[in-house]
Amino acid sequence: MNTDSKKSLSLVLLAAGCFGIISALALDITGSQFVFRGALLIIGAIAFLGGLYFYPTEKHHKTIINIIFLFPLLFCFVVTVIIPFGLGLFYSTTDWNGIRMTAFVGLSNYKAMFTEISFLWSLIITVLFVIINMIAVNVIGLALAVLCTSKIRAVGFFRAAYFIPNLIGGIVLGYLWQFVFNNVVLNWTLKLFEYNSSMLSKYNTAFFAIVLVYIWQYAGYIMMIYITGLTTVPTDVIEAASIDGATAVQTFFKIKLPMIASTITICTFLTLQSAFKQFDVNMALTNGTGSVNFMGQYLTNGTQMLALNIYNTAITKNNYALGQAKAVLFFIILSIVSIIQVRVSNKREVEM
Amino acid sequence: MKKKLLSLLLVGLMGASIVACGDTGSGSTSSGNSSKSIRLVNGKIEVDSQLKKLAEMYEEETGVHVEIESMGGGIDIQGELKAYYQSDNMPDIFVCGGAADFDNWDGLLQDMSDQAWVSDTDAAYTSDDGVVGFPYTTEAVGLAYNADILSAAGVDPASITGPESMRKAFETIDSKKDELGLTAVIGYYAEPVNLYWSTGNHLFGNYLDAGLDRDDRTYIDMLSDGGKLDDARFADFADMVELFNEYADQSLLVSGTYDQQILNFASGKYAFVTQGSWIGATMTGDDANAYKEAGNFECGMIPYAFEEGIDTILTNSPSWWAVYNGGNVTEAEAFLQWMAGDEAQEVLVMEAGFISPYKSCTYVANDPFAETISEYTAAGKTSAWHWLEMTDGYSQNYTGQVFADFASGTLSKEEFISTFKQVTENAYAQ
Repeated sequence: MNTDSKKSLSLVLLAAGCFGIISALALDITGSQFVFRGALLIIGAIAFLGGLYFYPTEKHHKTIINIIFLFPLLFCFVVTVIIPFGLGLFYSTTDWNGIRMTAFVGLSNYKAMFTEISFLWSLIITVLFVIINMIAVNVIGLALAVLCTSKIRAVGFFRAAYFIPNLIGGIVLGYLWQFVFNNVVLNWTLKLFEYNSSMLSKYNTAFFAIVLVYIWQYAGYIMMIYITGLTTVPTDVIEAASIDGATAVQTFFKIKLPMIASTITICTFLTLQSAFKQFDVNMALTNGTGSVNFMGQYLTNGTQMLALNIYNTAITKNNYALGQAKAVLFFIILSIVSIIQVRVSNKREVEM
Repeated sequence: MKKKLLSLLLVGLMGASIVACGDTGSGSTSSGNSSKSIRLVNGKIEVDSQLKKLAEMYEEETGVHVEIESMGGGIDIQGELKAYYQSDNMPDIFVCGGAADFDNWDGLLQDMSDQAWVSDTDAAYTSDDGVVGFPYTTEAVGLAYNADILSAAGVDPASITGPESMRKAFETIDSKKDELGLTAVIGYYAEPVNLYWSTGNHLFGNYLDAGLDRDDRTYIDMLSDGGKLDDARFADFADMVELFNEYADQSLLVSGTYDQQILNFASGKYAFVTQGSWIGATMTGDDANAYKEAGNFECGMIPYAFEEGIDTILTNSPSWWAVYNGGNVTEAEAFLQWMAGDEAQEVLVMEAGFISPYKSCTYVANDPFAETISEYTAAGKTSAWHWLEMTDGYSQNYTGQVFADFASGTLSKEEFISTFKQVTENAYAQ
């Protein structure tokens, strides 16, 4: 095949592809029930990519191949992440109620969000929850990992036992623990202190209850990562230390801990992110209830974390646009955390 | 060359599979339009099997397939419906729970004023668009009691006409608690996570409506006007809640579940329970054994008489079925018309335990509360459920918690009243 015929073939394919895509989209937008419109779109896209592939050029051939190979991934990313994100930003500036929008409201959703005291409270307790969990889960996870790498009997059983809570879904787990707090713990407190309300009914004890359940769920998972970290510490270093007369405690703090520094970074950010996104346990356990007096106001969402607050604003209070605005803020917070995480771990890797 | 052929073949296969997918997908929608099939989203998961039976009966009779999609048990049905709307997957008939729901769908619902069933009922939901809600059952909210225990304690339920007689009755029963085998006088649960609707909607609904005529909107209009409460009436209401707190089952007051509440009442451990007529189905269904052991006692309902002279219980259609005007309207309307007819009503009343809102229906359910509701209805002693018009999330996000705090003793009665006012203003400020 000579260059000219190749070029004309590729141009024909490109044109046919464009036509196919555009007509398929036009059919869909005009609400036609034509059965092959989906197929037409796909065939058009394939024809377009084929035309691109056959285009006779020395200079750009590599770029074209790269684009063709990247296309499936980029397409999925755009359809499932970029477009919804753009729509989310758009909806956060309207009065959308999940069915339709009637007006643009500018930034007033964002303004409303920061004047809403219950939302500020949610922000504060989420941050508090994250800090407490980041420390507690890591300390307990590491302690369990040290236990499960020591020479005790039935180590395999303990590893599995600590890890299993992580395999139970958050909602199920929340209801299980709700039963424990409302029926078991309540009976103890009733007998011991004649205290008739369950731990879940006061915001401070309920917050503690969520922390407890979260640690129970997550510490086993973190433990597994620490176990992997601890087992990669070379034995010759530990042997050398013991010959030098280091005690077990010294070996742990001076040798093992620095050696697993990168694992600690990973685990810290893992817990940080997942604690921020805490939703299912929170919803099943207390659904955000618990009363608290904050900034001179009686609030009824004493244990409502950020994710649950967003969900509640949109779904139960039927204010989708405001919920969307809160979700944008949530996205910003999480992306800052992620960026810091990537930066820090990259630095560490260079050091090691 | 072979490789190229192979890759071409693969591309062809992929394309073909996609075409095939497109075919089946659009094929089902087109068959949905032509071969007569409608879809109904039901909000009462407990009558799922009965509705499916009705759908089968209807298909046999007319050839129209009715798909029943039941939701319940904590699912936010309106949220789910919105997702359906966004994905162009709307059912032809779906459940709507009150003014807020109907307002959301304003302009998207079919006006059914021309349907024959409209003249047969008073319970249809009417909006600016016309008659948009098809009623299918009636539920009643009142103070349910165990007639056997009351008569054993020598308390005549008819004598409870106001706060003083209510307190006296509670005291009498409380003094004989041990010999009657009671755990507590009243099964009042103020748990805020899963039972907020019992306190925040149903109990508070009595503040809005108890003792008033069905079309009396005094207190709901005050509430809708920026969240105002009537001081005197609400204080009397708070007195009653305080009485309930005092005589409730202390170990379950702020932590009990709905299941425990009904089971304990069905087992004869409480003389009263703060739930409505729907518990009859649970008592004769899930809790049938316990209920039988307790002697299948008779049940009744008295008004929540927090003021002298309150003599009505609250009855209403708890939710309605609406027809989506972008769907298969003719078939949906025909199905609803059939549902209001004799054949379907028999199944709904006798098997699903519904209390029919249709005048032409002569069936009476075999339900512990059916009789008492018929009596109140016949005597004209019923009020409406205006709490259906309260703002979105009012009980779940605001007042349910206040009831719980009052019950646990965190709030005194004065604080309960002032806090209630404050959260109400907040809820309505948004």
